[in-house]
Amino acid sequence: MTAFRVQDYPLKNYQPRGGGPTKAQSGGLRALLSRSPWTYRLIVLAIIGGIWQAYATAAQLLLVPKFTDTMIGVVTLAINPDTWVAFMISNQALVVGFGISVVFGVLLGLGAARFRSIEGFVDPYLSILMVTPMAALIPILMMALGLDLSSRVVLVIVFAIPVIIVNSRTGVRQVDPNLIEMATSFGATEREIWVKILLPGALPAIMTGIRLGLGRGVTGMVIIELLMVAVGIGNLILRYQGNFSADLLYAVVILVIFEALILVSILRFIERKVAPWASQTVLRD
Amino acid sequence: MIEISGVSKTFPARGKDAPVLALKDVDLRIEDGEFLTILGPSGCGKTTLLRMIAGLAEWDKGEITVNGTPVRGPGPDRAMVFQAFALMPWATVRDNTAFGLELRGVPKAQRRERADELLTLVGLKGFENRLPGQLSGGMQQRVGLARALAVDPEILLMDEPFGALDEQTRRLLQEELLLIWEKTRKTVIFITHSMEEAVLLGDRVALMSPRPGRILNITQVPLPRPRAAAVDQIEGSAEFAKITANLWGQLREMQTIRVHAGEEPAA
Repeated sequence: MTAFRVQDYPLKNYQPRGGGPTKAQSGGLRALLSRSPWTYRLIVLAIIGGIWQAYATAAQLLLVPKFTDTMIGVVTLAINPDTWVAFMISNQALVVGFGISVVFGVLLGLGAARFRSIEGFVDPYLSILMVTPMAALIPILMMALGLDLSSRVVLVIVFAIPVIIVNSRTGVRQVDPNLIEMATSFGATEREIWVKILLPGALPAIMTGIRLGLGRGVTGMVIIELLMVAVGIGNLILRYQGNFSADLLYAVVILVIFEALILVSILRFIERKVAPWASQTVLRD
Repeated sequence: MIEISGVSKTFPARGKDAPVLALKDVDLRIEDGEFLTILGPSGCGKTTLLRMIAGLAEWDKGEITVNGTPVRGPGPDRAMVFQAFALMPWATVRDNTAFGLELRGVPKAQRRERADELLTLVGLKGFENRLPGQLSGGMQQRVGLARALAVDPEILLMDEPFGALDEQTRRLLQEELLLIWEKTRKTVIFITHSMEEAVLLGDRVALMSPRPGRILNITQVPLPRPRAAAVDQIEGSAEFAKITANLWGQLREMQTIRVHAGEEPAA
């Protein structure tokens, strides 16, 4: 029997690379692309718009508007006060529901991290909320709370709060235990450890939870209006759908996306303001 | 003066693991102004012992006193320097340095002044407003040292403070620690697993052995002080070589006995 040799089993994907100094990157397209992420973003948008336009023109379907018509629809809606009223109505539920979600979600998350009793109380319901298809709750909410603002608010909360609770709790749990020990060694009380170590340490995770919760809250806000309470944005969508005004229907959806993007950008901005240490470069000595 | 007498600690059984006798009848006396290094292999309980002196860990039997007062928790007479630096990533270098002062309610202007003074001492002047994430490991541990010195403790407890640093940075910081210590003459208990570090820094080296953790013996280091300016000479001396070789011999013994007994060496 011959001896086993590692060399008899070459790497399948190994290609020797050329040595020597690295070549300077050529200009042109590469330089253009490396300038800003917006270059890529606009290129992607142009490609999607182009395919959309080509498909809509070729297919001539009643409910697929052309890209250009949709953009005109966006402008039409944006200058129409009725649109703004519809967005205001819908956003009432978001403002109230999301506000409640942030306050109680963060408190419950922090409480769950600190007290076993709160965790034991929150945990099973949280698990249920995380796996339940929320839309299935809508008929139940309707029957319990009726057609007014309160059922929309509750739905926004049900959508938004789980991720805020979970992120707040995880945020506290993942604070470096060395910091807690350090603070204890310098004589910190439990309250000081919370204020000076755990809360600042959990802040980035809490902010991420709030941002994710906002996205879910917007989803909840639109879904209940589409499925049950036809007011605000949901009402607009259903109306344009009924009228076969495909361009306006698409335009509403795009406006909703705009709103969500703007809100999330604001939260990202706040996140960077309050937790700037999350992204850092290291200095060598 | 720190007196440790008959301290034992058993970590209770967890799941399938049997209870671990972490420390057994540890006796140790550290004089005021002494630099004691504790040397031992991983798992010998040296960090546990230091955490007990710091008031961060409990023991089952025996007593630890600082200047005659039994240790019942952390106190203003002791300050700790951590292996993992333990800096708050959201606070500036200055605020990190002033953390102990902040907890004591020192007014902002005074703690700023004191922090800046110590940052100058450890060579970080000009970095006061940086965040720890912008500093290298060596600079971060300088902040850790400045933070401990800022509260002007009688006793510095250093838990493998240079263990996470590269060799070159470690040597620089050893020299600077000697320099600072020779100026301030605080009582220092310094944990390490490096023979050279233990001998270079310490007045005495306490050698610990594992399972159960106990003080095996204490070596006097007769090298002259001040040492900060003469590190190269000291490390090249026959005396230094003799002591470190002797310590290494004993440390190696701890490992080989265990292998021959059919036991895994400590990881």
